[in-house]
Amino acid sequence: MSGAVFERAPSKHLGPDYKSQEERPSATVSTRVDHKNVTTLPQTPQLIALLTMIRDKETNRADFIFYSNRINRLLVEEALNHLPVLPHTITTPVAGKTYAGVKFEGKICGVSIMRAGEAMEQALRECCRSVRIGKILIQRDEETSKPRLFYDKLPADIKDRWVLLLDPMLATGGSALMAVDVLRSKGVPEDRICFLNLIASPEGIANFAQKFPLVRIVTAFVDEGLNEKNYIVPGLGDFGDRFYTF
Amino acid sequence: MTALPLLESAVAPLSPVTKGNAKIVDESPTLDRLHRGHYSPPWSNTSIIGVAGSSGSGKTSLSMAIIKELSLPWVVILSMDSFYKPLTPEESASAFRNEYDFDSPEAVDFDVLVQKLHDIKSGKKADIPVYSFEKHARMENTTTIYSPHVLILEGIFALHDQRVLDLLDLKIFAEADSDLCLSRRLLRDVRERGRDIEGCIKQWFAFVKPNFHKFVEPQRNVADIIVPRGIENKVAISMVTDRIHKTLSIKSDEHQMALRRLGQVCEDDPLSPNVKIIQHTNQIRGINTLLMNPALSAEDFIFYFDRLAVMLVEIGTEEGVKFKSSTVRTPIQGETYKGLRAESEVSAVVVLRGGSCLETGLKRVIPDCSTGRVLIQTNFRSGEPELHFYRLAPNIAEHQCVLLLDPQMSSGGAALMAVRVLLDHGVREDRIVFVTYMAGKMGLNRLMSVYPEIRVVVCRIVGDSEPRWVEQRYLGC
Repeated sequence: MSGAVFERAPSKHLGPDYKSQEERPSATVSTRVDHKNVTTLPQTPQLIALLTMIRDKETNRADFIFYSNRINRLLVEEALNHLPVLPHTITTPVAGKTYAGVKFEGKICGVSIMRAGEAMEQALRECCRSVRIGKILIQRDEETSKPRLFYDKLPADIKDRWVLLLDPMLATGGSALMAVDVLRSKGVPEDRICFLNLIASPEGIANFAQKFPLVRIVTAFVDEGLNEKNYIVPGLGDFGDRFYTF
Repeated sequence: MTALPLLESAVAPLSPVTKGNAKIVDESPTLDRLHRGHYSPPWSNTSIIGVAGSSGSGKTSLSMAIIKELSLPWVVILSMDSFYKPLTPEESASAFRNEYDFDSPEAVDFDVLVQKLHDIKSGKKADIPVYSFEKHARMENTTTIYSPHVLILEGIFALHDQRVLDLLDLKIFAEADSDLCLSRRLLRDVRERGRDIEGCIKQWFAFVKPNFHKFVEPQRNVADIIVPRGIENKVAISMVTDRIHKTLSIKSDEHQMALRRLGQVCEDDPLSPNVKIIQHTNQIRGINTLLMNPALSAEDFIFYFDRLAVMLVEIGTEEGVKFKSSTVRTPIQGETYKGLRAESEVSAVVVLRGGSCLETGLKRVIPDCSTGRVLIQTNFRSGEPELHFYRLAPNIAEHQCVLLLDPQMSSGGAALMAVRVLLDHGVREDRIVFVTYMAGKMGLNRLMSVYPEIRVVVCRIVGDSEPRWVEQRYLGC
């Protein structure tokens, strides 16, 4: 699992085949990941353009918020597609016609890892209006430099729900792994957790694949890697800072 | 493509290209023409009515009376006053001394008039010059005439030029007593055009009266109807309007028949590759299930439709926008990312009223999107789509991608019309992306056979006679 090494963040011509070569400009796309529970959003020119906006350090906060929210919505829509559905046929308003549709099964909830994860709540709310949202605060312990759980507040019946875990950046995966531990301790099975994130590192993905192979990861982009300070590169800086304060 | 001869012949009643044997095409037929169906909007082949008569004979009030009696929204009056030739400085000086002869055919720019009438007749947009009587000059701005079904051209020389006569469907000569004409003209020129009485009387005897006998009166001979007593002549007015109504009804039938034929021809064709049906993921199917359930509350309907609209608009912009490579620096020291940047402005045009259901979705994707509006309603009696209103961004021709939003398309009549309106305002065909929730297959094929270069983004392909229930549910009435 995840043993194969693919070229990291390769350059590719993007756009539909019917367009001419000059209409398909090249850009850096996501690193390919060999893990069946990882879904990377289709690398469309539009997604790459949105990512370019939020990576650019010259982008102001209003734009950063708007464009990251647009990607977050795509992530949520994609993640929801991983939930199971049951066939459900209904009679339509058009006289006598039926539609062989589907129905959502089960209940869901969101859990955001504070504070950056909270930035993804708006997109979740835009897709699931009255969804319950739990919170987890995990911070790096200055002494041990290991992540430490400070706070959690989760729906009481969380073990019966599908959990959408929210954190925009997956670097080493320290806090996300700990968050999954917290959820498991509340009785949520590993395969009912879907981790949504904007930009991941191949290392973080590998850590997840090793420790919680059944957790689904939906990400917009798997970046080149980590630098010596364990920041994702080229990344987009500190997501929480750019979204909330800068 | 075996449909070729059929396609061509299908449009025989309206298209000038297809006169005679449909299989004979130009020496060098362009690929375009070979594969294209032809759509002629209902306002093309505009009925043009010419109203001539002496100055002050009541042409304008007669035209107004005809319009009032017709009571149709798409009738316009075009006054020949707009077509006075721009004056040279010398001519202008003599005009201010009331010595310039405005009442001779020489003063009228018939070349421009004929050109504009041709544009209107062929269904195109015509920019009409504006003439200022205070300044005796053509102004810089123009007014636009677009998509009238009936145009009334009024002016003392409306029946003068043979090229104009050839374009007229009905020729009217308004007649009035010359004392009455003079007194009306005096009142109007002094009140509305800021002249003085002496000047007006000088003009009358120097130019108006002699020219009447020389140029205006002979037009009686080419008129179809001579109307004495102007607006008091109710019988004449109702004769004229009856005739126009009849012409319009024949044209409406022809238009609808042409639309139907356009459909039959391409019914069985495979969908054009430019039509993109969005992928039916579990979520999309789930949302569709909810939307189509009549038991869903209005609140939920709006919520889920908006959610779907966002996805449709996302894919619509994806289709239309062009990108170029762009390298940016990230906040991490020394790191760059080679990404893309949209190089084109996206704007939208909403086909009312249904299109407004997609606007919330649009604004979530492009909050500051410039949005034009077109009101097209299907006449409940004839079933014919009618253009009631349009307002587009003035620079729409420069926009690199124009999303045309309408949640439902059945026969395609409204969509054909909306695309035509955009093209007539200079938008390039390959820059139009039609975004819709559901569409009939025949309607889509119709649209694509006429405008093969546009792109369509659609969620569901449905039957061709589905009523427009989406907007009813979304708007609640």
